Amino acid sequence: MNRLRWLVRRLRVLFDKKSLEDEMDAEMRFHLEMEIRLHVRAGIDPKEARRRALVAFGGVERHKEHARDVRGARVLDDLVQDARIALRSFARQPAFVLTAVVTLGIGIGGSVAMFGVLDASLFRALPYPESDGLLLGRVARSGEVGWIVSGRDWIDYRAEAESFASLSAFTPFDLSRTVRRGGDAHRVRSMFVSPEIFSTLGVGPLLGRDFAPDDGRPGAEPVVMLAHEYWLRWHGADPELVGDAMSINGLPVRVAGVMPPGFRILQDVDVFLVFREDESWVTARQYHNFLLVGRLAPGVTGTEAQAEIDVISERLAEAYPRTNEDKGLHLAPLRDALVEEYREVLGMLVAAVALVLLIACANVAALQMARGHARSGEMSIRSVMGAGRGRLGRQLLTENAILALAAGALGIALATWLQRGIVAFVSMDQLGPIGADLSGSTMAFGCALSLVTVLGFGAIPAWRVARVGGSVAARGGSRTTADRSATAFRRGLVVAQVALTVVLLAGSGLLARSFAALRSVDPGFETERLLTAEITIPDDAYPDDEATIRFFSELSDRVTDAPAVSAVGLVTLLPIRDPLNNVDVATPEAYGSGAVPTAYQRSVWPGYFNAMGIRLVSGRDVARTDVAGATPVIVLSEQAASSVFGEVDPIGRTVAVDVGRDEPELREVVGVVSDVVTSSLAWGVSGAMYFPFHQRPSRSMRLAVRTTDAAAGIAGIVREELRALDPGVPLAAVATMDEVISASVADRRAVMTVIGLFSAVAVLLALVGLYGVLAYQVSRQRREIGVRIALGAPLDRVARGVLRSGLRLASIGLALGIVAAIGVTTLMRSWLFGVGSLDPVTYLGVAAIVFAVTGLACYGPARRAARVDPVTAFRAE
Amino acid sequence: MTKSRADLLQGTLDLLILKTLALEPLHGWAVSKRIQLLSRDTLEVNQGSLYPALYRLRDRGLIEAEWGEAENGRRVKVYGLTKKGRTALRTEQEGWRRFRDAVEAILTTAEEGAR
Repeated sequence: MNRLRWLVRRLRVLFDKKSLEDEMDAEMRFHLEMEIRLHVRAGIDPKEARRRALVAFGGVERHKEHARDVRGARVLDDLVQDARIALRSFARQPAFVLTAVVTLGIGIGGSVAMFGVLDASLFRALPYPESDGLLLGRVARSGEVGWIVSGRDWIDYRAEAESFASLSAFTPFDLSRTVRRGGDAHRVRSMFVSPEIFSTLGVGPLLGRDFAPDDGRPGAEPVVMLAHEYWLRWHGADPELVGDAMSINGLPVRVAGVMPPGFRILQDVDVFLVFREDESWVTARQYHNFLLVGRLAPGVTGTEAQAEIDVISERLAEAYPRTNEDKGLHLAPLRDALVEEYREVLGMLVAAVALVLLIACANVAALQMARGHARSGEMSIRSVMGAGRGRLGRQLLTENAILALAAGALGIALATWLQRGIVAFVSMDQLGPIGADLSGSTMAFGCALSLVTVLGFGAIPAWRVARVGGSVAARGGSRTTADRSATAFRRGLVVAQVALTVVLLAGSGLLARSFAALRSVDPGFETERLLTAEITIPDDAYPDDEATIRFFSELSDRVTDAPAVSAVGLVTLLPIRDPLNNVDVATPEAYGSGAVPTAYQRSVWPGYFNAMGIRLVSGRDVARTDVAGATPVIVLSEQAASSVFGEVDPIGRTVAVDVGRDEPELREVVGVVSDVVTSSLAWGVSGAMYFPFHQRPSRSMRLAVRTTDAAAGIAGIVREELRALDPGVPLAAVATMDEVISASVADRRAVMTVIGLFSAVAVLLALVGLYGVLAYQVSRQRREIGVRIALGAPLDRVARGVLRSGLRLASIGLALGIVAAIGVTTLMRSWLFGVGSLDPVTYLGVAAIVFAVTGLACYGPARRAARVDPVTAFRAE
Repeated sequence: MTKSRADLLQGTLDLLILKTLALEPLHGWAVSKRIQLLSRDTLEVNQGSLYPALYRLRDRGLIEAEWGEAENGRRVKVYGLTKKGRTALRTEQEGWRRFRDAVEAILTTAEEGAR
């Protein structure tokens, strides 16, 4: 059979109905004419001939109908007719259609966007070949999974473990460096890697050569690998660059090659540098700077590898108890390790989206119920006229399919936009760039979801009502048991809606309260009017400490004298911005005796504390006289001082500080300053110690400029001063302290905002649902209300009756919702800060919102009830 | 009109239409007249089943329709046999003959038995 021709004909039947009907009509008319002519020729009177022919032919319409059946037009005809009826009835109820489509569209849009995000992040494979064999190694302390691993430990693991085909290390920090090639100097983001990193991941360079094991050995020529994007953007994809030299922070390096496009290791960087395995930050066992990536040897499982590693860890702990006691290495499949960080936040978002969708579905179900009641008359008339139950059911299905189509289209349109928003908002940078476009599977999910929701939540109640409603209307009665059960069902839906909304509101309330608490944490310094930036001077232009000190001395003086600057601070690492560099510090007697306190170490330029607003508690600030030959001194923060010396006054005492050598450095404490938050606001203040810059200079410093006006405007002035001093040194990472702090809580803000938005939508939907059920109730009870008013019931009591039934529904919903919320919000405990998951303020706020919304929803129906005119109410039924 | 008429057996109409059209392309009315004529007025095709049958055959690709001119100058749809239709006619004819022989055989046996 010629499939194509068959299809063409079928389509013609559907779309070219008119011409086919005309053909059929012409053919049959011709047939009749020929019959008549035959009769006439046989000598019969033309009129009689026509009659006979018509009798012989039979009912023309019946034949046509028969012929149509043969052509298979029936089902499609019905469908078109159903669709036409549906569209006509939709046109009469634009409010219903709009509410249903928008409600569901939002629910579907949110869900599809979330699915898209999950699809693009959690469900997709890592961009490395055979990534199942890749494990991420993180430090384990007393069995707890920590983060970075000691370089020295890695060298031992790599040498001894046989479970791995290769075991590589990299620094998971975004280290900013200055690259110079020819006259051009620019800042790049860089990462230190061990030479075997690319072969471990299974990705070779696009151009040039891979790193060789010797590249990390002491004395080897320093080599770098370029990221494709950086090579393209900064070097115009210059192939000559491969094998050529450039300078990084003033040190000459050779470009080994260029990685393929999109290659990344947890974060985007511009250059990969091989670290030298003899540098103290690598070799000191107490310094932790690396994450490990291993590829399992063929046939070895992750469990076996972990068992082998545990044995090595124990041996290391015995050999080096001071640094390795209770320390181990935790292995986890790379994918799982990367995803686990986002699992909770994605879980929260998925839950929020699902709640909104459920509320939307409840809304549509309730709307369909109400509509089902309203059209029970229509249904029973059509049923009496001979429409079969199947036909009526198909009618409802068609209507819902049209709704599904519209809601799905709206939802998918919204999803494109929402997904982009979520991806931009909730950063998941470890997983790499997440596509903001809807994938095929996401689209399919969206279509399936729209069908399921609309057919499930729309058709079932409508069908139910159409069945019972039909019989009700046919009997001409008003309210029956069936009717009442349908009403109970609707109320149940509204209660469910309120309960789901309460869960969302509680969640977003707790997040908002946590955020507020976090923002009110005192960071220990003044954040207003404070501009921060990064300055790194190249090694070749500033080869020694003297030149370095001279540069920063001049810079400090120049910026201090600049207009609108009230104070200038220079420090190696700024609080909150740079949560790095935590080392051991103790009294010389306690040092080396197992667990000693740690503190964040920084070199500061004199005046830093003043510029930052860090209080000097006792003793003195570091001074320009604390130079290399003078007594080595140090300033401790209050917490560092008390963890080392307890109650004893530390001024004038000596501390032993780990500086990455076998022996600690001994320094005299000359001052104690107040504590600051070093990393996250949520973690609070931590101990710190400050070295005088002149005794421990650094070429890479952070600038903190306190201004008299808004901080942002001063950047230009600082940049000019820097250019005047040395045009080859760029001012990098300029940001006000407020921006830095704001960025440090960006994830929380994003999650709070997204969930808050969903809650607002939920509240709106619940409002519509509540209003709908109350308005419907009033319209059903018009006669009863009319009787009561006629009998002299005060109008406000009638109105109060409506309010009371609204409040009853809301209260039940609230109670159920709070119970559910208590269960659900315990799952987000790690996202809470400063509030318990049972925070009474949050729950009181939620209750207040629910009752306010109920009042709002009751207002219209209550007014309408009070305005019922007994006379018209009686006449209406 | 008094002449006795045989009812068409279910399924034979298709065969008759195919056979008629195998001789020459015809329009609907002519098909019914031709069958009537060839069967010496024994078989009369009911219009109510003629057109559905024509549409059905066309859907199955056994016949095709073209606009042509009738004896009275009217534009009319003329049906003709397709290649596929010819093959179908052959197999249907075979089938019909086997069927007829079988029925015939049974009927003769029955008469002999009665004798």
